[in-house]
Amino acid sequence: MAIFTIDDVEKTFKSGDVSEKILKGVDLDLNEGEITALVGPSGSGKSTILTIAAGLQKATGGQVLFEGKDMTQMSQEEIRKIRSSEFGFVFQSSHLVPFLTVEDQLLLMLDVAETKLNKKQQKQEVSKVLDLVGMSHRKDAYPSSLSGGEKQRVAIARAIIHQPKMLFADEPTASLDSKRSKEVMEIIRNLTKTLKITTLMVTHDEDMLPYADRIVTMKDGLIE
Amino acid sequence: MQMAWKEVKKSKMKFLILGSIIFLVSFLTFIISGLANGLSEDNAALIKNVPNGQFYLNEDAKQTYNLSKIDIDQQDKLLADYKGATAMSIQMGFVNDTDDKQHSVAFVTSTDSELFPNVKDNEVVLDASLKDDGIKVGDILTNNQFSGEFKVVGFAEKQTYSHAPVAFISMKNYQEIYRVMEMQTVFIPGSDSPDSIKGLESFNNKEFLNTIPSYGAEQMSLNMIIWFLVVISGMLFAIFFYMMNVQKIGLYGILKAIGVKTISLFSMMWYQMLLITAVSLVLSVGLSQVFSMVAPAGMPFSLPIETSLLLSGVFLVIGFIGATISGFQIKKVEPLQAIQQGEM
Ligand SMILES: Nc1ncnc2c1ncn2[C@@H]1O[C@H](COP(=O)(O)OP(=O)(O)OP(=O)(O)O)[C@@H](O)[C@H]1O
Ligand SMILES: [Mg+2]
Repeated sequence: MAIFTIDDVEKTFKSGDVSEKILKGVDLDLNEGEITALVGPSGSGKSTILTIAAGLQKATGGQVLFEGKDMTQMSQEEIRKIRSSEFGFVFQSSHLVPFLTVEDQLLLMLDVAETKLNKKQQKQEVSKVLDLVGMSHRKDAYPSSLSGGEKQRVAIARAIIHQPKMLFADEPTASLDSKRSKEVMEIIRNLTKTLKITTLMVTHDEDMLPYADRIVTMKDGLIE
Repeated sequence: MQMAWKEVKKSKMKFLILGSIIFLVSFLTFIISGLANGLSEDNAALIKNVPNGQFYLNEDAKQTYNLSKIDIDQQDKLLADYKGATAMSIQMGFVNDTDDKQHSVAFVTSTDSELFPNVKDNEVVLDASLKDDGIKVGDILTNNQFSGEFKVVGFAEKQTYSHAPVAFISMKNYQEIYRVMEMQTVFIPGSDSPDSIKGLESFNNKEFLNTIPSYGAEQMSLNMIIWFLVVISGMLFAIFFYMMNVQKIGLYGILKAIGVKTISLFSMMWYQMLLITAVSLVLSVGLSQVFSMVAPAGMPFSLPIETSLLLSGVFLVIGFIGATISGFQIKKVEPLQAIQQGEM
């Protein structure tokens, strides 16, 4: 069952008189609870389609259906609501808030997602998720004192703590060595399987492919 | 607004610097405002102590009380028609004390009134500041235009005019010294909308103050400094938050990406601005009040708490505007920009 459908999506970037069609009609179905890995040469449009799917930029053609609703027809505010409560994001760099402790980063996400938890439940939820990513012992640390792998684990915790339906990950392991990469992928796989989160992940690293349920290759703005 | 507070806690230095600048600027503003007010009292306490009303000068006087003469018949009629009306005159002059030392004073005389001390002929009531010059009740003062002598019968608090202490004398003595029969002005208390009276021009208290030479110029330059400082502090806010926001563009982008509302980002900035301004203002209001208590007696300084609060309010509004203007960039931040920018 496809929970997420990318249907004939096009993206043209214009700068001045020059316009370049980067996506030339991308079709992709994401099945509920599956991890789909998106691979392909640099510049083929992987990040572009991922950010369009995630509601971070607009397509210039086609449809993006999340649970049957077309996101290309939604207002900014509707998309913001979906992003905050139904989507989670992990990127190449962790993008943590520099002045919040690990615990506060996650509490912030719970607030943003407007979950109906009280303060105590929120804290419980945070410590549960920190356990899952193996970061409980650093809950009072600030991002500046964490290693790259630790930051990425916190970023993953932040991406899933509000139990989103979708996880979008753009090269989540690119800044990590191969041992840390595998640890992080392990965590992503375990979490998304337990929480039944549908995942779209861009990666360059062949070692990561075994963690995916499905591998899709992009080339020149099209799915092969 | 936990996030805002947590940032202040984590980046103490940054906010401490902003806070101390706001503190210094507002403290300076309060001190100058205290001086402006002090000078204004020193210059015109006599008029400032009078309740609101209208001063009438002769139309031909070119708005200068010195040149004004009110016809005696008209004066009598006005005093009869208006309750509480007083005819009065002010002239700068000198008195000599028992040691023949000269003191510059402003001679003031008036018809019977509750507003000013009533003095009998050959008596004088002086502003209390002359006590510091060694003048006591019972002393005899002279004036070279005056055939008699003045006996000091009392002192009045805070009665100064044109930076000189006031000497209240009787009308008869005044008429002898200045060789005029007419008074310069008639004051009618309480009338907000002045009755127009034939041949006379009316001035409310504030307008009358401005007919004092030097008063307007003095106050204008001090007020200009005050408002200049207020505007500078507003610009400081704008610049400071602008720089902070530029640094945080990436952060704002990522917060927007995960779904934080733009208004929450603004509230975060407002909260920080309010917090810092409030703390700085409490400190500078407190310190300037202390200063006003310990200021040397000779220093014209007067800073009523109401003035401090009013200026504080202005600072808050200005800070809010400054921060908000610089916050427009928050609105423009695209989440995607931040993600592509890489590690923060
Ligand atoms: N905002 C933009 N304006 C103009 N061109 C853009 C913009 N964003 C991306 N592009 C172009 O679109 C093409 C695809 O970019 P995209 O980032 O999707 O590639 P990618 O497959 O993710 O590559 P990589 O593997 O290197 O990350 C590139 O040629 C890029 O230069
Ligand atoms: Mg990419």
